[in-house]
Amino acid sequence: MTLSCIIASVQTNDDLNLIENFKKGDTSAFGEIVLKYQDKVYNLCRHMLGNAADADDAAQDVFLKAYQALPKFQPDASLYTWLYRIATNTCIDYKRKPIFESLFGDSGEGEKLVHDRASDAPSPEKLYQSKQIGQALQVCLGELSPKLRAIIVLKEVEELSYEEMAETLDISMGTVKSRIARAREDLQKCMHKKN
Amino acid sequence: MSCPKSILISAYLDEELQGSDRATLEAHVQGCNRCSQSLEELRSLRAAFSTTQRHQAPYGFATRVMARTRELEKQQTPWHVPLIMRFAEVAVLLVVITVGILAGRVMTNGSSVTGTTTISSTLSLDMFDATPPGSLGGAYLAMTEARNEK
Repeated sequence: MTLSCIIASVQTNDDLNLIENFKKGDTSAFGEIVLKYQDKVYNLCRHMLGNAADADDAAQDVFLKAYQALPKFQPDASLYTWLYRIATNTCIDYKRKPIFESLFGDSGEGEKLVHDRASDAPSPEKLYQSKQIGQALQVCLGELSPKLRAIIVLKEVEELSYEEMAETLDISMGTVKSRIARAREDLQKCMHKKN
Repeated sequence: MSCPKSILISAYLDEELQGSDRATLEAHVQGCNRCSQSLEELRSLRAAFSTTQRHQAPYGFATRVMARTRELEKQQTPWHVPLIMRFAEVAVLLVVITVGILAGRVMTNGSSVTGTTTISSTLSLDMFDATPPGSLGGAYLAMTEARNEK
């Protein structure tokens, strides 16, 4: 068994314990679930919706829906893909504000950026270039349909496997493959236009 | 070999292509400028995503969620609980009325209420007359009527 498999199984057991405790009436167990997954859910909503205020509202709605549905949760699914499913559906249905804020510019009030994944200490020129690319990408993401945006964010930002995406979005592997290829094509076309 | 569909190149980039499919595509890409360029463009797109930042939930997020779950719990009180409470309220009200009537009867008669007949007569509407039987007002009216007859 690989290290990642061991970590994954431990996480699953932790989640199952929390769910069981919640079903027995321990509401603090749900609090632990929120603390554990709040950053993942918020980050997904932030990329799906493009601004901090909407992401905050949508992420809260995700956990409220999870709170109501958790008693019926089936342990054969993993908690984080289940939460991602609620999050993507919530964000797809969410009535977005018309302005798509920058994912790379100023963050919302009270929001803290974790880290820049590009490099630890980029040069000003590199930072400028990456910011331009980032801004173009952000605009193009906003132009994608919600379903295509969901799948590309799950892949490129959350780094889910095809199998996990199929489970999260409740679609077949074939649909995952075609939809992600379509999302990339649309993004590339849009990026070419912007550049 | 003709150029593979974009789905296959995309899956190859994501390392979701296995076995012979993967080997065939790798061999094709090495000898095909067009597909090689497509793959490079997909890699550039991935690099653009790598410049995105991970966002952390705002301060107090979990507290706000838990507060909303408590509000939800209050709103979702089981429907039968208030109904039971209403039945209890009605029952208590009936007991209070009955006890009040019985107590009033005892006080006006000056004796304790015993037996089914007494209770049924106690529950009669005579209690609510302007001059209940045995009261001072009743005695005064009887005296006045007797005087008028004379």
